[in-house]
Amino acid sequence: MNAWYFSHLVLVQSTFISFLLALSIQVPLRAGVFSFAGVGSYAIGAYTAAILTIRAQLAPVLAIGAGVLVAAAAGYLLALLVARLSGLYLGMATISFALFLGVLATNGGDLTGGATGLYGAISTLTTGHVVAVTVVVALLLAAGERGAYGRRVDAVREDPHLAVSLGIDVTRVRRRVFVVSGALGAAAGGMNSLLRTTVSPETVGFHLVVTALTMIIVGGALSWAGAAIGAVIFTWLPSVLQVVGDWQLVVYGVIVAAAAVWVPGGLLGLAQDGWHRLRTRHRPIPAGGAAAPVAVVAPDPAQELAALGGPAAEARP
Amino acid sequence: MAQDVLNALTLGSLYLLFALGMSLAWGTIGILNFAHGSIFMFAAFTAHLLVQEVPLPLPAMLAVGVLVGAVLSLLVQVLAFEPIQRRATDHRKAEMQILVGGIGIAIIPLAVAQYLTRSVPFGYSASTFRISTYDWGFVRVSNVQIVTLVAAFGLAAVIGWWLRAARPGLALRAIGVDAEVASMMGVDRRRLALLTMAVAGGLAGLAGVLLTYYLGSIAPETGDAFLLKAFAAIILGGVGSIAGVVLGALVLAGIETLVLVTTSGTWAPAIAFGVIFLMLLVRPNGLLGRQEVRRT
Repeated sequence: MNAWYFSHLVLVQSTFISFLLALSIQVPLRAGVFSFAGVGSYAIGAYTAAILTIRAQLAPVLAIGAGVLVAAAAGYLLALLVARLSGLYLGMATISFALFLGVLATNGGDLTGGATGLYGAISTLTTGHVVAVTVVVALLLAAGERGAYGRRVDAVREDPHLAVSLGIDVTRVRRRVFVVSGALGAAAGGMNSLLRTTVSPETVGFHLVVTALTMIIVGGALSWAGAAIGAVIFTWLPSVLQVVGDWQLVVYGVIVAAAAVWVPGGLLGLAQDGWHRLRTRHRPIPAGGAAAPVAVVAPDPAQELAALGGPAAEARP
Repeated sequence: MAQDVLNALTLGSLYLLFALGMSLAWGTIGILNFAHGSIFMFAAFTAHLLVQEVPLPLPAMLAVGVLVGAVLSLLVQVLAFEPIQRRATDHRKAEMQILVGGIGIAIIPLAVAQYLTRSVPFGYSASTFRISTYDWGFVRVSNVQIVTLVAAFGLAAVIGWWLRAARPGLALRAIGVDAEVASMMGVDRRRLALLTMAVAGGLAGLAGVLLTYYLGSIAPETGDAFLLKAFAAIILGGVGSIAGVVLGALVLAGIETLVLVTTSGTWAPAIAFGVIFLMLLVRPNGLLGRQEVRRT
């Protein structure tokens, strides 16, 4: 066990980092906000933590904390800017925000180390810290998904207009979601650059957007648990797929596409459906189902409709 | 200066060929196809594989590109996007699923091409077509550039005319405004969607082959870079507007060329992102886009 743990330490660390990154997209998505700003925040957090550690030798808590604060503030400002957008338009605006930060880092000169990035961000951050932070975050988010607050967020996602008429401040929920997403993304980025002691513009590209998105789509977008499932799968999949050798990317693509087409609720949704079915299987079902009483009154519903002057049988689908 | 303008025009017409199909599919049948870049690359790649066996002239290569692009695009539509649209409960969820599905599918041809080429750029050196340049005094123009310019603006004009004047074009635009009412009026949505996707894929394949001739060789990853640029061009001009895509592609290529010749070039990749972001903030419907019809 111990030997296995040390030989897979990088993967274990990546799992928790990926989980936090996936959460930074899952949290907005849960509120119906299609935002990839979390990927941009990942860059902000990664660079802030690396710069502060290299230049000022700050403790990891402060270096990462500073990144989280900056990204949360950036998230709030971004939320004000993109308030008018929604759906795909919002998604693309936030993708371009994230990718723009990558180019900014390439052109940052000495501050960001240009295209080669920054090296030697050595700190005292350990895997234990990362796990602790992740567990606290997951507990907080799990609490936020329950009760009145969780239902309020559900309402904002499913029907914003209805939510407004119920007295829910949709704009505030959306802004809050951007701030939380920024903080989560920055925490992931900051911890990653301190664990790896380096950061470069390549770490934040379109592939990071794709990775984070696939994790929550395959895992399930409506709960933190979906992000956890996705993070575990996509961090460990490459090492499992070594058996198929050169074709692992093809398998990866097929999995992502198949999940998007056939399992829109993600694996979590699939598991919940299965569980629900298992629990309801033994309940007595009225003979003939819900249609039974209707059948007594009208043997042929189509004829009945026609008699009432309803649409003719051939006109209906 | 005149040379820079010509280069910007060529780049713009390559963007245009690529973005035209994407814009058409997005503005009418509501499909934002993120596998478009992959289809573009794979069509060019298939033409490369073929030309290794048989030395083909330019028209045959273009035909291969168009055919492969159209077939791939149809496959994606039938295997992925149709099932998604059929089963999705609401419009917004379907949009996101289509986006993710497209991203997933895009990985497959990319991985195949990367495996077969070992990520080495490929070209058409075996083709019987030879690139020649004409010196007109103030500019030098190659025959590939002329073909690209004519194909891009010609096809944009044809598609623009078809959407305005032909009955299927009208039906297609009707789907873009209100899909349900359109099908109640007897529009065959499935057939038109397949047609649109085939045209979009064909245009992508054409652009892929022309780009490979123009640059000499392309890498399997070229499609991804084009995807975001085409997206920027569409957002700039306005979704669904053909004149808008033409304008967007030209403006984007113009700005990029300007940045490339005046600076060291490291900022050039950011142009597309900056354009997308600013346009969405200032004018989400694009320069020539129509007001989005609200469906509730």
